Amino acid sequence: MTQENPGPGDTRRGQWGLVAVAWLLVGIPLLWGVWTTLQKAAALFE
Amino acid sequence: MAGFLTRERIVAGPGFNRWLVPPAALAIHLSIGQAYAFSVFKLPLTKIIGITQPAPGDWTQPELAWIFTIAIVFLGLSAALFGRWLERAGPRKSGVAAALCWSAGFLVSAVGVRLHNIWLLYLGYGVLGGCGLGLGYITPVSTLIKWFPDRRGMATGMAIMGFGGGAMIGAPLADLLMKHYATPTSVGVSQTFVTMGLIYLVAMLAGAFLFRVPPPGFTVPPPVRRSRAITVEHAPLRPPLITVRHVHVDTAWKTPQFWLLWAVLFLNVSAGIGILEQASPMIQEMFKGRVTASAAAGFVGLLSLFNMAGRFSWSSLSDRIGRKRTYGVFFTLGPLLYITVPFAGRIGSVILFVAAAALIITMYGGGFATIPAYLSDLFGTQFVGAIHGRLLTAWSAAGVAGPVLVNYIREYQIHHGVPAAQAYNITMLLMAGLLVVGFFCNLAVRPVAEGFYMTEDQLARERAPATAA
Repeated sequence: MTQENPGPGDTRRGQWGLVAVAWLLVGIPLLWGVWTTLQKAAALFE
Repeated sequence: MAGFLTRERIVAGPGFNRWLVPPAALAIHLSIGQAYAFSVFKLPLTKIIGITQPAPGDWTQPELAWIFTIAIVFLGLSAALFGRWLERAGPRKSGVAAALCWSAGFLVSAVGVRLHNIWLLYLGYGVLGGCGLGLGYITPVSTLIKWFPDRRGMATGMAIMGFGGGAMIGAPLADLLMKHYATPTSVGVSQTFVTMGLIYLVAMLAGAFLFRVPPPGFTVPPPVRRSRAITVEHAPLRPPLITVRHVHVDTAWKTPQFWLLWAVLFLNVSAGIGILEQASPMIQEMFKGRVTASAAAGFVGLLSLFNMAGRFSWSSLSDRIGRKRTYGVFFTLGPLLYITVPFAGRIGSVILFVAAAALIITMYGGGFATIPAYLSDLFGTQFVGAIHGRLLTAWSAAGVAGPVLVNYIREYQIHHGVPAAQAYNITMLLMAGLLVVGFFCNLAVRPVAEGFYMTEDQLARERAPATAA
């Protein structure tokens, strides 16, 4: 089945734009959290 | 409407990109990961009446501590009870249920703060929120494992990394909101609960609606490494601890492998809690005069970063070296690091202390992130969400037993005249001992015996609805 019709198993297909947007939506708040934590952590090395 | 959420309606069509599933999973785990930041509410919650300082009638810290404990207990219970339902209902329905529970937990808690009724907080954040935690934790993991049979560790590590990272967003966000809503007559907690409940509802629903399940016959590109040869097609290359067959959730808990992994998770989490629970006072007491309270807070923040990083890196590494070896590293290196912690205190090396604690915490997080992949290697992917749900009772047990053990031993020593800075030595030795026991439990893990696997007929019956769709 998958030989003739690769279907969703072929992950090199489209939707990469949507993938990028989805990652940005979760990545931005996560990076904000990491940045805030790093700022606090800097006190340890002062 | 209900049909819109069913598993049959979300079978991925041609062209669906499986890399959309990890951000969907992260949206859910980053939301429920707020649980690790619940402590930011503790102090303001003790001043609901007094506003600037606790007043008579205000809640006490021990009363408030129960909220988080109840949430962790219900996390384990709901994951264990609803895991089977998740596999049948599909990740979208389960994700929506998680979003509603988690959000409702905040809203009920907000009412509890308004009415100053602690039982509403136990019911809200504790019971409802705990159910949201349990469902929200296992739903993405179960889905990702099915989409990434070739990189199970990395995929689940990405989601579970979100649970570690959720506190890094939740804590400063709560702090900002409480400052924004605070007035001379309110500490702003109830408004913060409402706002956060709504934000998390939107984020988790977005994640749930992005979920798709792989269609029957889903395959992945051919493996480039032996350790990734996990699918039926790649069976000749497959390592012995990775099965292509499936064990039913109701059978899995009857196998010794389930209980060995239960013990592995319980011991790893209990040991990690030994550091997490005492991180701030420990560094201040061991390096008195050298580490201030704000530097200690920075240390705790640093640990949460390493906790998150460990979840992704160790679980990804497990795809290359295998799960058993990964836990082997935790249980070999871990005891040495626990012994290093008091040694660093004795020689006065802050750097060595921080490095040892940070590495320990990466392995604490890594233990959480690698366990779903370990389960799917041993029991197959069909019921991995449900089996994982039942295994999470080990986390609940460790969440209750770990802090009790750590605090009791410390209090006992101080009561018997041991200086505060040295009271950690025995605790660290005990944690090292727990990991040694974990080493032997992990060593005893063998492939599941033939008789426990489902037959082809049983499997076909389980998969019938999805196939029919």
